[in-house]
Amino acid sequence: MSNSHLFLTAGFPKAPLNNGVGRYIGQLQRVVIKFCKSHGSSKGVREFIESNLIDFSRANPGVAVYVKPRRHRGPSITAEFCNGETGYIDVKCMSRDEVYKWLNHFTTQSGKKVMRYRKLWHTESPSIQGVWSPHTFRDPALNLAKFPLENHAGPIIHQPSATELLIEMFKKQQLERSGESDGETKE
Amino acid sequence: MFSSLVRGVLNSRAILPKCLKTCSPSVLQFSNKTQLAVAQEVLPSDSDIRLTTTNTIQKVNDLIAQGAEGRLFAVVHVAGKQFKITPEDIIIIEGYWPPTNGDQINLEKVMLVGGTDFTLIGRPVLPQGLVTVRATVIEKDLSHTKPIFYKKRRKQYQRLNFYRSHYTMLRINEIVVSSDVNNPSDTVQVERTLASP
Repeated sequence: MSNSHLFLTAGFPKAPLNNGVGRYIGQLQRVVIKFCKSHGSSKGVREFIESNLIDFSRANPGVAVYVKPRRHRGPSITAEFCNGETGYIDVKCMSRDEVYKWLNHFTTQSGKKVMRYRKLWHTESPSIQGVWSPHTFRDPALNLAKFPLENHAGPIIHQPSATELLIEMFKKQQLERSGESDGETKE
Repeated sequence: MFSSLVRGVLNSRAILPKCLKTCSPSVLQFSNKTQLAVAQEVLPSDSDIRLTTTNTIQKVNDLIAQGAEGRLFAVVHVAGKQFKITPEDIIIIEGYWPPTNGDQINLEKVMLVGGTDFTLIGRPVLPQGLVTVRATVIEKDLSHTKPIFYKKRRKQYQRLNFYRSHYTMLRINEIVVSSDVNNPSDTVQVERTLASP
């Protein structure tokens, strides 16, 4: 028996049905809001239904909204997505704004299961200018080289650059000058 | 002094090519003696450089005018991170980010644009309006639950907290070089201010 279902799945970012390549399609299909007409834990949901539900439905014409009162049960929101997955949230004792927030959260989701992303980037065309290799941008004469190469063997000894030489000369000059001035003061 | 050194080396051993174009000074070793051959560089004249520059830029502009630039890629800076993108890519922006699903946005901090035949590199970003990178927000979700574990050794102190960060998924729709290269419309050259020594 495998334990793979116990652990968090990991993968790469993917959008269902190439969403967004041509146009964006909302992935939320259906929302069922369950609540109680009398219990206090459903107060926020009731307020939401009274004041915001119509606005929400108008703003999301692609989402079918079902409201289901049930006696003496805790309130909940169930969402169904295009890919057949469902989302569920217990909205017990939540305020009107919180209910609205979580409902809007469902509209922006794609419905895929929670996944740890290995990379926050996905591409179908990984290289446009060609994949880099150690031979890229190297002198083609090296293709015909016979080894060992005299110039390339051994460590690279960095010679001082012109700037460094200049700085050194300048410092030397300053030292000499300061020596002169010291001599003058002594005299 | 240096020239005499070079001459000496050249006389003793004809290793260096006749046209000294190598940039890095090479050290030639023989008979327990190390002599420095100072690199000599034949620099092209200013007019030559200007000509090649204008020609290269003209070639890039022609490619773009013909629509023969092919698939482009870009490096964009979004919300503190850099992404290398090409059309149809998906990128995820972590943390709170206001754009919502279905929003079409232009990514304006473009640091680099490249095709098969050319690359435009910004210093650090390309001038605004040169490149249009269009993207669509396709998903806003929370990440998986991430644990934060603190522990102080030998102090009977440990905490385990959990959090989920915001993820915004973007689909890159197009990358277009929308104006002429090296043809700034309203760029103002500011004189470089140097601290007085």
